[in-house]
Amino acid sequence: MDLFAATASMDVIGKGLMVGLGFIGPAIGIGIIGGNYLKAVGRNPEAAKFFGQALVFVAIVELFGLLAFASTFIVK
Amino acid sequence: MISTILQHFAEDGPSIHVAPSGAFHLWGFTITNSILYGWACAVVIIILLIAVARKITVAPKGGLTQFVEAGADFISGLVEGAFDDKKRGRKYVPFFVTLFFFILLNNWFGLIPGVGEAFHRGDNPILRPFTADLNGTFAIGIFTMVFVYIASVRESGGIIKYFKHFFIGSPLNPLYLIIGLLEMLTDLTRVFSLSLRLFLNVTIGEIVIAVFSYLGHIAAPLTALPFTLIELFIGALQAYIFTVLSLMYLAIAVNHAHDHGDQDADEHLLTPEPTPETIKASKAHAS
Repeated sequence: MDLFAATASMDVIGKGLMVGLGFIGPAIGIGIIGGNYLKAVGRNPEAAKFFGQALVFVAIVELFGLLAFASTFIVK
Repeated sequence: MISTILQHFAEDGPSIHVAPSGAFHLWGFTITNSILYGWACAVVIIILLIAVARKITVAPKGGLTQFVEAGADFISGLVEGAFDDKKRGRKYVPFFVTLFFFILLNNWFGLIPGVGEAFHRGDNPILRPFTADLNGTFAIGIFTMVFVYIASVRESGGIIKYFKHFFIGSPLNPLYLIIGLLEMLTDLTRVFSLSLRLFLNVTIGEIVIAVFSYLGHIAAPLTALPFTLIELFIGALQAYIFTVLSLMYLAIAVNHAHDHGDQDADEHLLTPEPTPETIKASKAHAS
């Protein structure tokens, strides 16, 4: 317990929770985008040309995960 | 023993800087390390692109020329394809190609060993990637969006006509008025979303590389290598995404403006729908 108190304080746990919980949403979102892209390509191989647009949406979703990561530097 | 290792990790982690810091003063202004690096990068990019542009010939060449040519061709194809009218799109090609190469090369030069934590002056690194600084990306975002706004106002022919596009119907209807005002507000957040996305991606890449080279100790090059390679990919992807998103913002406004113009012209014509090619072919086949 002494070791726990020395190394892990409440704000470290809080930051860990913040990053972990914040990454859940974007991970699900990127999974849905990727899965639907592959489903579309499987049904219709012509749809493979929209890979760039799929990446654009990945970047839009990804921003929220990055925001969760960046706020760990603001929280003291 | 475990406690000593844990203590070690808890006490001095990798040195991470999220904000830029002053390198020196010049005529009363504080020149930060990212400004210094941005200037150096800009000079290198200008020299590189001018040198490559002089060398370009009709017959394909290998090496650096080919890389720049492929990038410029890719972006100009993208820009021309985004607009309904290719001639109208061609006007905007130089801006977007410049934007793409500036962000791309800034991201990639930031991965060169020596930028970041390598050289210190006091407690601060001397050089710092320009795109890993919120001020820098914010400047790029504001400049891009101002360009987009000016271009879309000019394309729609007057500022009142431009503002009309935010409203679905008459602005006198209170519902349409509120929806239109909300649309304008979301339009203004584009600056933040563009600049924050670029800033966070590059900064977090730098942090991840710093953390893994710290964890690697002696084997730092080995542990940081995969993340450097991922960053190489992400740097290119972010440059592409920044260019494509700002292009889409412009293309939506411009295409919308010209759709409305065409609609008014079509109302007078009232021509019947032309028969699709496939039906014509099948009819010809049947008879």
